[in-house]
Amino acid sequence: MSNPVYRPNRRALLRGTAAAGAAALIGTLPARRLMAQDAPAKPAEIIVRAWGGSWVDALKKGVSDPFTAATGIQVRHDLTEDNEIQPKVWAAVAQGRVPPIHINWDTTTNATKSALRGVTEDLSDLSNLANTTELAKPVGLDGYPIVNTYGYVYVLAYRPEAFPDGAPTSWKALLDPKFKGRIALYNDGIGFHFPAQVAGGGKLEDIPGNMQAAWDFIAQVKQQQPLLGEDPDFTAWFQNGEIDLACTISTNAREAKKNGVDLAWTVPEEGAKFDTDGLWIPKGLPENELYWAKEYINFAISKDAQQVWCDGLGLPGVVPGLTPPEDLVGDPSYPDTPEEMAHLIRISTKVQVENESEWFSKFKEIMQG
Amino acid sequence: MPNPSPDFRYPLRWRLMDGVERLADTLWPRSMSRHTGWLFITPAILLVGLLVLGLIQIGDASLRVLDTATFLPSEDWSLTNYRKALASSTYLTVAWRSLSGAVLVTVLTLILAFPYAYALVRVRKAWIRKALLITLFLPFFIGQVVRAYGWLIILGNSGMVNEALSLVGVAPMRLLFNYGAVVFGLVQYMLPFAVLLLVPALTAIPEETETAAGSLGASWPRILWHVLLPMAKPGLIGAGLVVFTLTLTDFAVPAMLGGGSQDYIANAIYDQFFRTADQGLGSALALMLVAAGSVLVGLVFMVFGAGTLAMGGRK
Repeated sequence: MSNPVYRPNRRALLRGTAAAGAAALIGTLPARRLMAQDAPAKPAEIIVRAWGGSWVDALKKGVSDPFTAATGIQVRHDLTEDNEIQPKVWAAVAQGRVPPIHINWDTTTNATKSALRGVTEDLSDLSNLANTTELAKPVGLDGYPIVNTYGYVYVLAYRPEAFPDGAPTSWKALLDPKFKGRIALYNDGIGFHFPAQVAGGGKLEDIPGNMQAAWDFIAQVKQQQPLLGEDPDFTAWFQNGEIDLACTISTNAREAKKNGVDLAWTVPEEGAKFDTDGLWIPKGLPENELYWAKEYINFAISKDAQQVWCDGLGLPGVVPGLTPPEDLVGDPSYPDTPEEMAHLIRISTKVQVENESEWFSKFKEIMQG
Repeated sequence: MPNPSPDFRYPLRWRLMDGVERLADTLWPRSMSRHTGWLFITPAILLVGLLVLGLIQIGDASLRVLDTATFLPSEDWSLTNYRKALASSTYLTVAWRSLSGAVLVTVLTLILAFPYAYALVRVRKAWIRKALLITLFLPFFIGQVVRAYGWLIILGNSGMVNEALSLVGVAPMRLLFNYGAVVFGLVQYMLPFAVLLLVPALTAIPEETETAAGSLGASWPRILWHVLLPMAKPGLIGAGLVVFTLTLTDFAVPAMLGGGSQDYIANAIYDQFFRTADQGLGSALALMLVAAGSVLVGLVFMVFGAGTLAMGGRK
C-alpha cells in the first residue's frame, strides 16, 4: 500500500493561498463593511497604479489577490510610471472627468504634491489607521490625504568583487579613481542629495538653506563620470559588469541579488536617505468605487497584508510587530530599532516638496555641464 | 436618328459612374466647383488647426508659473519661465548639444546615405538592389527603443564588440553612455530616412549625364562634385531637413545611449513635465524648441529652397 502522503499541486497551493488571504482579509475588515446590506455596489474591477517587477509582485501577493478573493472585485495593476500618471490624474480632476485609476501607489513626496493641489480624497476614516505607527501619517498635511505604507532606504549598493577588503564605509568611495566611469546615481540625484551634504562636510540642519557642501561633493562625483539612470538601468548595469557602485533603493538591490547578480549593499557612515511610499485616491470617482478603493487601502495597512507585502519588498511596514524577512534581520536597510533609524537621514516631506525641483535642476546643471 | 431599342441598357460600369456623378453633384453641386480646391485642403486645415490649438494651450501654460505651495499654475501671465530657461546654464548646454548634435548627425547621415542611395539607383543586378532594399527597410520594422537596446547589448562592456576586441588582446572599453554613442545611435536610426528621400532625386538624374561628363574627360570625383551633387541638391536638402528636425527633437536615443549625462532638449522637456511637475517651464522649453527648429528650417528654405519637400512646386 502506498504511503498516503498528500502532495499539493501548484493549483491547489494557489487556491489555498488565496483562501488563506481571503480569511485574513475577512478577519481584518470590519464585518459591517463587507457584509452590510447597505455596502455600495461593487465595481467589476479597481485599478491600482503600481511599479513593475518585484514591486507589483509583492503588492499582488500581499494585498490585491487576497482583496479579490474576499470581495470578488478584480484588481488591475496599471504600470504607468508614477511621474507620468500624475499629470493625467491632475488633468482628469481639473476637467471633472473620472480619473484613470482608483488608487495611486506613489512616493510620499509626489503624493504630497497631489495633496497640496487638492486632488486627493481624505482617508482619515479608515478603521485600520488606529493600528498603525506614526510612519503612516503624512507629515505636514491635515488628515490623511495619503496613507504611508512603508519606509525605504537609498543604500550604497556595490559589487563585492570590487571590494575584497569589505563593504565601503563612506559615500566617498564613489570618488575612488579606480571606479571612474563605474558608478551610478539616479538621473535626478534623488536619494543622494542628503548623504552628499554630509559627505561634503555640510550639516543636515542647513538643508535647504545652504546645500553648497552637497553640490561641491556632487561636482566631485561628476568628475568620476557616473552613469545616470533609473532602477531597471542599475540592475542591467550591475548585471553587465558596467558599474561597481550605485545609490539605489534597497528593494532593487535585493531583487537583483535574488536574480543572481553578485551584489551587496550598505548604509555608509554618513547615513542614507530614508523615505516613505504611500497610497492615495484621486478625487472624481463614483461613490461606490471610492468606497471600495478605500477598502483596498484599509486592507493594505492591516497587519496580515503588510506582513506579506512588505516581506516581498524587504521593507519595514507601518504596523507594529511585523517580522522582518530572514535575509534582512539586522540589515541597516531594514531599520526596526530607534538606533538604526537614528543612523538614517529623514528630511521633512514639506521641505522636499518645496525644494525638490530646484535640487533636481542643480543636480542636472552639474551633471549635464 | 433611330431610337434605341427599349431593351437597350448601358454597360454596368457606365451606370455606376453615372450614379457616382449624380451623388457627387448632390453632395457638391457644380456651382461650387470653384471652391473644390478648398474642399481638398480641408482635412489638412483641420489637422493643422488642431495642432495650432494645442500650441495655443501650450503657449498659455508656458506663461503661468508653478506655485510649489499648491502645485497649481499661477492665475497671471508672465515671462518668468522663459527668463528661467534662458538664464539656466543647464538648458543652454542641452540646447547647444541638441543643435550641434543635429547638425553633426545630419552631415554624417547624408555622407553615408548618398553612396547607399546612389548604389541603389545605379546597380544593375536585381538581386543586389533587392538586398540593399531589404537591408534598408529591415530597421523600419524594429522600433527606435528596441534598436537602442540592441546597441546596449552589442556595445556594452560585455557586448559583442568588446568580446571581439578581447580576442585580439584589447581590454574592454566603455563604448556606451557618451556623446559619441548618442551620435552613432542617431545616425544609424536616421540613415534609412535619408536614403529614402535621396533615391527619388538620384533617380531623376539621367545616367547619360554622367557618361557625357566622363566622355568630356571628367574624372569620377569631378563628376560627383560638378554633376551629381548639384543635381541631387533637392534630395540632399529634403533629406537633410527631415534628418535635422527628427534629430533635434529626439528623446529615446540620448536617454538610452547617453547614460543620463547627454540629454537633448526633449529629455529636458520630459523632466519638467513628468519629473518636477512644472508644466509651465516644460511648455516654455517646448515652444522654444519649436521656434528654434522652425527658424532654422525657414533659413534653409530661404537660402537653398525646400528641395524635394517642395514636391516640384516653385522654389
